[in-house]
This record gives sequence, C-alpha cells and structure tokens, in this order.
Amino acid sequence: MSAKPKLAFFSFASCEGCQLQVINCEDELVALLGAVEIVNFREAIDERRDDYDIAFVEGSITRPEDEHEVKEIRERAKILVAFGACATIGGINAIKNFQPQEKVSQYVYGDQAATFPSYPARPVHDLVKVDLKLHGCPISKSEFLEACKCLLAGKQFTVPNYPVCVTCKLAENVCLYQKGMTCLGVVTRAGCDPMCPTFGNKCIGCRGLIDHPNVNAAFDVLEDLGLTLEEVTKDFTMFDGCHKEITEKK
Amino acid sequence: MLPKVLEKSKFAAFATALAGEYQVVGPQLKEQSKAGGETFVFGPVTDGAALRMDYNITLLSPKKYFLPMRETLLKYTTVGHPKAEAVMDTRQRVIVGAHPCDIYATWLLDKVFSTDHKDPNYLSRRERALIIGLDCAKPCDETSFCHDMGTNYVESGFDLMMTDIGEAYFVEIATEAGQALLAKAETREAHNEDFAKRQAFMERKQGGFHKRIPVDTKYLPEILEESYDSLVWEAIGRRCFSCGSCNLVCPTCYCFDITDKLNLDLTSGTRERTVDSCQLDNFASVAGGESFREQRSSRLRHRFFRKAKYIQEAFGRKGCVGCGRCDRNCVAKINSVETYTQIAGSR
Ligand code: SF4
Ligand code: SF4
Ligand code: SF4
Ligand code: SF4
Ligand code: SF4
Repeated sequence: MSAKPKLAFFSFASCEGCQLQVINCEDELVALLGAVEIVNFREAIDERRDDYDIAFVEGSITRPEDEHEVKEIRERAKILVAFGACATIGGINAIKNFQPQEKVSQYVYGDQAATFPSYPARPVHDLVKVDLKLHGCPISKSEFLEACKCLLAGKQFTVPNYPVCVTCKLAENVCLYQKGMTCLGVVTRAGCDPMCPTFGNKCIGCRGLIDHPNVNAAFDVLEDLGLTLEEVTKDFTMFDGCHKEITEKK
Repeated sequence: MLPKVLEKSKFAAFATALAGEYQVVGPQLKEQSKAGGETFVFGPVTDGAALRMDYNITLLSPKKYFLPMRETLLKYTTVGHPKAEAVMDTRQRVIVGAHPCDIYATWLLDKVFSTDHKDPNYLSRRERALIIGLDCAKPCDETSFCHDMGTNYVESGFDLMMTDIGEAYFVEIATEAGQALLAKAETREAHNEDFAKRQAFMERKQGGFHKRIPVDTKYLPEILEESYDSLVWEAIGRRCFSCGSCNLVCPTCYCFDITDKLNLDLTSGTRERTVDSCQLDNFASVAGGESFREQRSSRLRHRFFRKAKYIQEAFGRKGCVGCGRCDRNCVAKINSVETYTQIAGSR
C-alpha cells in the first residue's frame, strides 16, 4: 500500500445509515483522516476515484446490475469489508424474500415495476469474497474504528463470535427474560455494547446469528413463553432472513 | 476481640464516614420491576443511606472489585524505545454487606490468584480491600443452594461480620483493620441480651436453610467422575445456548482473555483483560482453528466438573458456593440442583 491507504465506501440496497455512522464518528474521524485518504464516499465527498485499497460495501445485492458492480469493486480492492447488516446478512431488505417478488416490486414501483427488475436480497458474501464483516443495523462506531485501526496496522481484527448475553453480563444488566420479556441476544452476535437490552429493549438480532447458534433451543424457549412459531420466525427474519437455519424453519 | 453493637439508625453515618477515606461499595437497588420485585448490584456510595442492607442477592458478586469484568493491564507505546507501563488499581476499598457465600468465593479466588503465578492486578486490589460481611438468616431465594455447598457459614475471610439483631447489628471483629474501621462508628459494648439475640439469630438460621441436593455434596467429585459418559450431559447440552451467562455471573469463575487495543495513532495502545467463559464456542479454540471442546454437552460437563470436582481436588474446597447466580441467569433454565440430582440419580 502507498503511504496513506485509500478508503472507498459503496452503497447497494440500503438506507446509507451505516455510512452516516462513519460521519458520526466526529472526533475520531479527524485522527482517522490523518492516517488514510478517502477517495469515494458519496455521503460526504464529491470526489470519486477508483484507486482504493480498502472498500467498505454497504447494502445488499438485489438487482442484476449490482452483481457486476460489486465484482468490479472486489477486483479493485485489496480488502473488501461488508459494511452493516444489509451487506453482511441481508438485513431488513431480506424481509421481502418471504413475499411474492412481483407483489413487492409492484408495491414499491407501481406500474414502473418492469423498468426496475429486482430479486430477493442477498448478502455481499453470496457474490464475492468478503474479507471482513462489520455487522449491525447500523454498524457500531466503536467496532468500525477498532477495525480501521487493525486494518491500518496490519493486525487481525476479530469479529466477536459470542452472543449479546456476554456483553449484557459485562454491563451487569438485568436479563430481559427475568422481567418476563423475550430477547434474541442468546443467539445474536455481540459487538454492539448491548444497546437494546441496556435500554430495556429486546435484542432483535440486527447483528445476525453467532457461528453455531442453538436455534432449536431458542425456538423452544420462546414457544415455552407463549409465542407462536410464526411470531418467533418473524422475530428472526427481521434481519437474518437469508440465514439457512432460519429459512429452514420457515 | 469482643464484639460491638451498632444501632441500625447509626449504620448509614458509619458508611458515610468510611466513604470519606475509602471507596465504599455495597448493595444498592438496580431496578424495580412493575410487579415490585427488586434487583440489586454492588456499587460505590458516598452516602451510606443508599445502601440496601436488606438485599437478597446481587447480579454480580463483589468479585468484580478484585477481577473486574474489564480492566486495563498496561499502556504501551512502540515509538522509539518501545515502552510499557503497568496500570494498577491502588484504591483503598471497603466492601460492605458481603454475604457468607461471596466471602467464601473470595477465599477461593485468593488461592487461585496467589498460587503459582501471582496475579499483581488481582492482588493489588485484594490487599487494599476490607470486607464487612453481613450474615443471612435465610436463603436469598428458591434458587440458592448454599447450604448444600456448606457456604452459608463462614469463619474467616472478613474484617467485620454484622448480624441483624433487630434494632441493631451485632458486629464481630475479626481483624485489627476491622477494628480500626469500626472506630469510625458510634458503637457500644455487646451486653448479655445482645449475645442472646445473636444466638436466637443463629438458631433461626439453622432452621432457615434446607438441603436441596439429595446426596451429600462431599460425594460429588466421585459421582461426577462416574458420570463422565452420562446421557444427562447430552440432554442438557441440547438446551444450552453456550451464552456464557452462567460463568460470567459466577463468583468463583476466574477465566479471562487478554487483547491489545491500538490507539488511533497506531503506535500506542493498551492491554485489556476481560473475563471469559468456558461455555463460549471459541473458548477452547487454539491456533490453527482446532477446538478441544466443540460440543455444548462437553462444555457444560466441564463447567460442572470444575465447580464440584476439579477445584475441590486442586484447592481442597468446592468451586461452587451455591449462590444460584448461574441458574437465575440461564435463559435455558439449566439448573445446578437439578443437574446434580439427575447425575446422582443416573448412575
Ligand atoms: S444495515 Fe441498517 S443502517 Fe446500515 S444501511 Fe442497512 S438498513 Fe441502513
Ligand atoms: S437481556 Fe438478552 S442479551 Fe441480555 S442476557 Fe438476557 S437474553 Fe442475553
Ligand atoms: S442488542 Fe441486538 S438488535 Fe440491538 S443493536 Fe445489539 S445486536 Fe442489534
Ligand atoms: S447460562 Fe445456561 S444457556 Fe447459557 S451457557 Fe450457561 S448453561 Fe448454557
Ligand atoms: S456455579 Fe452457580 S451457584 Fe455455584 S458459585 Fe457459580 S454462580 Fe454460584
């Protein structure tokens, strides 16, 4: 890599909320900008160049033309980071995967539907090799900064493979199950410094499942608490509708 | 040293006076549920009136003041001559209101962190901490099984031990440091009636606790030994999330992980220690990606073996104090008393 590594940000089907999180880094951003050069970032700068080293790819792949573009990014980038739930697991976009595609297109584009072909949402790793996944809807600022520091220093960044419960315990939160609520934190990948349970809300799984989630046990526990199979599946497909273990339950 | 009596009305002033010299940590209300249930945590106070000496159990034990959930071990820089500077917590601390089981657990941790490799960070905190115990007359709730583990009575491990005798606390003085602490309180000599009230408390206590595991727990090491291939492990393993909560809230667990964190300048950083759990997927992963405890069932079995066998063999006392924190926090409702009962029954 040249003196200053070049970063680029790209967006596919997404709300661009993850890019916004980068801008929200404010204080740290100044220090970060000293160490890198940003050559493509629609949310923040007008300049666009294609000589990037690290590409942050936000959004899921839902259109034929996205495929070509994401492959091109892969070819140019030395490191490709899937950025946010849409990109790492399909995210909110994958809710449409469980509905008739024509109906979805019609709902969004009306009589223009034929002009905008789209298909069920796919995470980026379905199409190209992904070097690092930064999960979450939106991504966590602190995780993003940690990952940047590691990438720049040539150090390995380890994405947590333990559930939200771990960080919930570190924060000494009262478990929501003890309060008669439910929570997907037992099978959801940590890294968010348990935003939701800390503020009394159930984890809805925006960071996707851990590597070996005990999904059966989760369904059992939730059904024991009176939820129907349909309700449980709905909780899980809010973000992780592309996950094999979940789609198999569907 | 002869015991003293501290009127309850004077307790808050005592704790506040201590807070002028020490960091005073004790039981406080964390949350009140809509149904009226209360959850407590240990936390620092400056006003003794915030202490809830009527608490039943806290989410985490006072262990967090000796082995914090996260801590910085050192700061380093790699510019020029690489340098590292140890970070030590040297605060003088008084832990107020520790129950016997948590005191018992501290005894065990002291052994662990001072045998073979002496852990400077743990010991720095531990040596500067004073413990004011609070005896309990009944189990915290239906999950506790301290009586089975023999940890609801402690003879040592505290500087002062308070017993609730109605309008006042009967205060036993175990160390000179404890005596110096108590000098800050307005106390009086213990009279015959106070001793009698203390005796009545002890009798109530004896009737208040009941055994819950059908076998005598002194046989657990052998019973576990025989259960190695039991299908019980398989069965509870199927329900387990490997979420680690059971370990992370346990007052006797002491595993941790160490990571280096870079600062934004990329040339300096910190070394961080975070508590870890043997139930997590990657806990037993080693370089090359191999894991020597891949199955949930074998990870669970390992936890129970640690608690009621291995630690006993290594340190001569049980590795579990029966506080029930693991069970209260298990979303899968995996329960220690039930597990030991099943294991003992499946031979
Ligand atoms: S992951 Fe969430 S915040 Fe990020 S782009 Fe997708 S929808 Fe927006
Ligand atoms: S609230 Fe959720 S994340 Fe926290 S411990 Fe309970 S199940 Fe786990
Ligand atoms: S607690 Fe769950 S839903 Fe909330 S931010 Fe974390 S992973 Fe996402
Ligand atoms: S708390 Fe329960 S579910 Fe979680 S690892 Fe422990 S035994 Fe398994
Ligand atoms: S194993 Fe459970 S009951 Fe025993 S000391 Fe640990 S948390 Fe308490």
